[in-house]
Amino acid sequence: MRGGMIRPMGPGPHFGPKMKQFVPRLPFDMVLCESAFPRVKAAPDESAFTQALLKRNADLSPTPAEQAAVLNLVTKIQAVMDNLIVDPGNFDACSSISQQIEEVRQVGSYKKGTMMTGHNVADIVVILKTLPTKEAVEALGKKVCDDLRAQEPQEVLVLTMLPNDRGFEISNSEATVRVLVTTIHQNLRKLDPELHLDQKILQSHLAAIRHSRWFEENAHHSTIKVLIRLLRDLRGRFEGFEPLSPWMLDLLAHYAILNNPSRQALPINSAFRRCLQLLAAGLFLPGSAGISDPCEGGNIRVHTAMTLEQQDLVCLTAQTLLRVLSHGGYKQILGLEGNSSIASEMSVWDGVVVSALEKAYEKPPERPPQDDDTDNMDADDDPMETTDN
Amino acid sequence: MYWSGLSAAANAAAAYQTGQTGYPVGHTPTGTYTTQRAAGSTYDTGYQTAAAAAATHSTAAGTYPSAAASATYDYGYGRTTQTAAAAAAAAYDSSKTYYAQPSTATAYTGADTHYHNKTAYTNAGAYTTTSRQTTPVVTPKTSYTSTYPGAAAAAATATYNTSPYAVQTTTANKATALPVYMQQTSQPATAVAAVKTPGNTWQTFKKQGTVPNKTQKPKAPPKPQQLHYCDVCKISCAGPQTYREHLEGQKHKKKEAAAKAGPTPSRHGASLRCELCDVTCTGADAYAAHIRGAKHQKVVKLHQKLGKPIPSTDPVVVGGTTKTSTTTAGTAVGAKTTTSGTTAAPTGTLAATTTTTTSDGKKDDLKEDLLDLKEKDVEPVGQEYIEEIKNEEGKVISFNCKLCECRFNDPNAKEMHMKGRRHRLQYKKKVNPELVVEVKPSLRQRKLQEEKLRRQQLREEMWRRREEERLLEEEERWYWEERRRYEEECEYLDWCRRYPRGPPGPPPMMPPGMPRPPFMPGMPPMMPMRRPDSSDDRHVLAKHAEIYPKEEELGAIQKIVSNTEKALKMVSDYLAEVDAPKEQHIKPKAKKEKEEVPKDDDDKKDGDKKEDGPPRMLKGVMRVGILAKGLLLRGDASVQLVVLCGDKPTRTLLDRVADNLPKQLAVVAPEDKYDIQRVVEEAALVVQNIGEQRISVNVTLTSPIMREQLLHDGDSQVTAVKDPPDVLDKQKCLDALAALRHAKWFQARANGLQSCVMVIRILRDLCQRVPTWGPLNSWAMELMCEKVIASAGQHLSPGDALRRVFEALASGLLLPGSPGLLDPCEKDPIDAASPLSAQEREDITASAQHALRLIAFRQIHKVLGMDPIPPPKFQRGGRFTRKRRRDNSTGEGNDSEGGDGKKDKKEDEDSKMDMDKDTNSSKHLMVEGH
Repeated sequence: MRGGMIRPMGPGPHFGPKMKQFVPRLPFDMVLCESAFPRVKAAPDESAFTQALLKRNADLSPTPAEQAAVLNLVTKIQAVMDNLIVDPGNFDACSSISQQIEEVRQVGSYKKGTMMTGHNVADIVVILKTLPTKEAVEALGKKVCDDLRAQEPQEVLVLTMLPNDRGFEISNSEATVRVLVTTIHQNLRKLDPELHLDQKILQSHLAAIRHSRWFEENAHHSTIKVLIRLLRDLRGRFEGFEPLSPWMLDLLAHYAILNNPSRQALPINSAFRRCLQLLAAGLFLPGSAGISDPCEGGNIRVHTAMTLEQQDLVCLTAQTLLRVLSHGGYKQILGLEGNSSIASEMSVWDGVVVSALEKAYEKPPERPPQDDDTDNMDADDDPMETTDN
Repeated sequence: MYWSGLSAAANAAAAYQTGQTGYPVGHTPTGTYTTQRAAGSTYDTGYQTAAAAAATHSTAAGTYPSAAASATYDYGYGRTTQTAAAAAAAAYDSSKTYYAQPSTATAYTGADTHYHNKTAYTNAGAYTTTSRQTTPVVTPKTSYTSTYPGAAAAAATATYNTSPYAVQTTTANKATALPVYMQQTSQPATAVAAVKTPGNTWQTFKKQGTVPNKTQKPKAPPKPQQLHYCDVCKISCAGPQTYREHLEGQKHKKKEAAAKAGPTPSRHGASLRCELCDVTCTGADAYAAHIRGAKHQKVVKLHQKLGKPIPSTDPVVVGGTTKTSTTTAGTAVGAKTTTSGTTAAPTGTLAATTTTTTSDGKKDDLKEDLLDLKEKDVEPVGQEYIEEIKNEEGKVISFNCKLCECRFNDPNAKEMHMKGRRHRLQYKKKVNPELVVEVKPSLRQRKLQEEKLRRQQLREEMWRRREEERLLEEEERWYWEERRRYEEECEYLDWCRRYPRGPPGPPPMMPPGMPRPPFMPGMPPMMPMRRPDSSDDRHVLAKHAEIYPKEEELGAIQKIVSNTEKALKMVSDYLAEVDAPKEQHIKPKAKKEKEEVPKDDDDKKDGDKKEDGPPRMLKGVMRVGILAKGLLLRGDASVQLVVLCGDKPTRTLLDRVADNLPKQLAVVAPEDKYDIQRVVEEAALVVQNIGEQRISVNVTLTSPIMREQLLHDGDSQVTAVKDPPDVLDKQKCLDALAALRHAKWFQARANGLQSCVMVIRILRDLCQRVPTWGPLNSWAMELMCEKVIASAGQHLSPGDALRRVFEALASGLLLPGSPGLLDPCEKDPIDAASPLSAQEREDITASAQHALRLIAFRQIHKVLGMDPIPPPKFQRGGRFTRKRRRDNSTGEGNDSEGGDGKKDKKEDEDSKMDMDKDTNSSKHLMVEGH
């Protein structure tokens, strides 16, 4: 039943012989086709749910004291770094280090205003002009730490190197600043894996800068920030959401709130539900157009960063939670009551049994090698590739 | 040959008897002369004239030609003449007079550029040295030792480093000679010479000179003094015996040979040199270290003891400097003149002069050397990569450079290392690619490297270009692909505008006045796929083909339905005749049309009919349910008809119809046997055929009046009272009416929607197959499918459409809190799925959610309850075509560049030849482009 057989030869528009194999399609989205589904009865009252969401957000938001502490530390470190850029002359042993800094940028949840309480960590990305060796990272860490100490000797600062040498952390008693190191674009291809930091890490740090810039321009709506915080909290509590990266959550929240026919921000309760609906409808499944990364060229769908198994897991968890939510289990979902077992175990809501789902993903069976034609064929047909292009 | 000049000078010096008895310099010249003389040449004649002036130097003239290269001749030529002149000048005689003779000058110049020199010399001879603008007049030194520094100073100021020559001529008489020399040196970049250099310079010019230089030998014999001092090695020996031994010794010989070979500064470009010890240092630090060192101190002491001049500790830069000559009329060389690059302390010792070499024609090198020198005081880099290794006491014992993986014990060495080229290169490579590291100084090495670099660049360039081309191509392909799709879309939209709701295939075949709807609309819907079917599509299509009823089944159903319809018509006629014999056979036709009539507005039309006259009891028969919608599946054996009655259907009416129907059926289809049952509680009668296939037709009696009554409940209380006592079940009647409306809705909405009917059939099958889905009534399911698929806003292939339905369910379409499925066929807002309980909704949703993920992960066959379909076989054909073509093209590619064009042509042909395969192969190409 391939194309040629059922192609009409009669009049009507003729489609060229070239056909695009795989066009990702957005999944069903109730918000986008509201007009096709007029309400049969008035929407249920969701004020309790909304209140719960807002309360949860308030619980998750950092306290003013935390904010002040982290702001304080960030400001100091930023000042030290700026000094290193502006005045590379004030060096002793680290001469080359100070000359190496191209740019310092705040990124991540601190920059975006989506920080969560109890996680008082701000991220800063330092772009070096030089190739980022492990020693350079260390030396920079020491230098910054020394300068800070020189400014305020009485403060207790702890310098910790991050795993994979991706950067370092400077923390005082209340806050932590994570300094992530990367290098300018031109240097990326000169990297030697033996000597320098992993290219993937460096690229992710560069991407973090783009992300925070995008966020600033597009996602400053405060509902989005609230939703991101709630989603992050969700991710922390439900194992199945673990594969979702903060960036995916940012994009998902932005999408859920702003991508609607009226282009007006949805209220938080609808948006939260919509997130689960989108995930449950397979927004992040193979074959879905998903959300393409606004900060990368080439139309990369963000969810392809997850493995197929992870995509299955995320979708499954969202599907179960959606059903729990629709049966009134929002308190458990928000973590105000109960625990995360609702995502993985059977639960009863108002006499309705909500059962957990099973994984659908199966590892593809080994194919005999001589069958590679078919194999390739399948790969062609396969809309399941984890990455496009 | 420079050195021949020098030797001449030396000769002169010797002749003057400067009193420096131990001076070995004097010896060498003679040696050289002899050797060189061997190679006599045409130049001799030229020289002879000059030589003639000073008899002693005739030999010198003779030697000159031995410098083989003609280019060098030029230089040498002028010089030798000068040397000769110098010698002449030195010969105590009136040098002026000698130079004054123009004849000599002309004699040797013969079209030589250096001829000018001679004129200069004449001037020089006149003690004026005015000919050169830049040449400072170096005051002749009168005493060897004492005036030395002064001379040095003078020389230092001079742009031309004349000092070596000045040094050589030590007597007062030299006053005359000296300027001459200076000019001479300023000439073609030659350096210098000195005792040891003769051979040396020679060799430089000869390029590893082939002429064996025996001159050293004669130099060796010492002039015994109270001190036995070896000038080559800069040591003193205790006695003649040891001295001799020293001279015979390995060390001395080595040094001598090294001296002969000449300093090899070119390897490192500029280097610093301690004149006193004849030690070349690679850098300022090394030099400083040397000066501080014991060896140097010893030599200094020795020299002090000897009363020899001690040059300043300022280093001598070796490697030369470049200078573009000022080509004034008086100057010697038209081109550049390079002078030995002694910047500072010209040494009084002859030995000192040996070091200075100029490499002529190596201008580039020299420039680099300068650069090099500048960079000697670069910032040390990469301190942070040098690890301090401490012993257990915490004292730093050594350093380890992590970049270069080397160790040093000395802090000085560490410093040096950090400035060093190797380290800097490593730093550049591993840390900061922007660090400027000096280019390798060696000409050849540099050339090689440049060559290498260029080749690499070329290669990179090529790859880059290739990559770019590839990207471009890809981009282009994408562009055209997008463009094509866009155009398709436009075309499609146009189409839709012209034929609303019609599929983009053949225009809808149903003219408005068609008496009956197609029996099974859209069997396998011949809708063109916008995209080739994916794996999902193939599965859905296969499943659909599987569940679609067979031809004979359809035929059987068709038969019984049409027979029943005909019979019912006749029953209606019969009843009409009985009730009102006036009315003839006009009505039946109207009855048939009625099937269309209610589509528009059944209530009204029926009302109109009523007014026509005495109402017919049975107004018409209509197909509803799967029969009307074309949703019959394989194995379906029950279809529905609805008979619209003029008044509320009663049990009496049902009985009358049931009684008459068998008779009429026998008339319509005498050969078939039908069994008719009354199901009063269903307000229906069932017609069943008696045969292999038991097909039952449910005929429900209903009347629009039932609904009218319901709608105008307030007014109709009177009519309700009027109801005959045996009226049939109201709800059943209403259901039948609803079914009628559903059928109409379906034909209006779902039939035209691409993939929709197919998906509904598939879901019908699912509802029958899977118990979880059983509770989902078909009307809700149809409604949902239509809404979900229509709301996509684009045309979906069957696979996509099915997936979208599951997506909708998975996102909670049926769950509490959702908008619900508003029934368009009811006046009041009613959820079409309202019969579902909460648990059923939950279960269906969960099932759909799992199904969705199964579809996403390529297991749609599990959802459809079928075996997975391997990729179609003829796909391979397409593949092979492409493969073959590929092979061919490689064959073609060999003969010409035009292979590409051929390939394309071939491709076109291929695609024209087999349309089927074409789709696949081109699709593959596309996929590859990804």
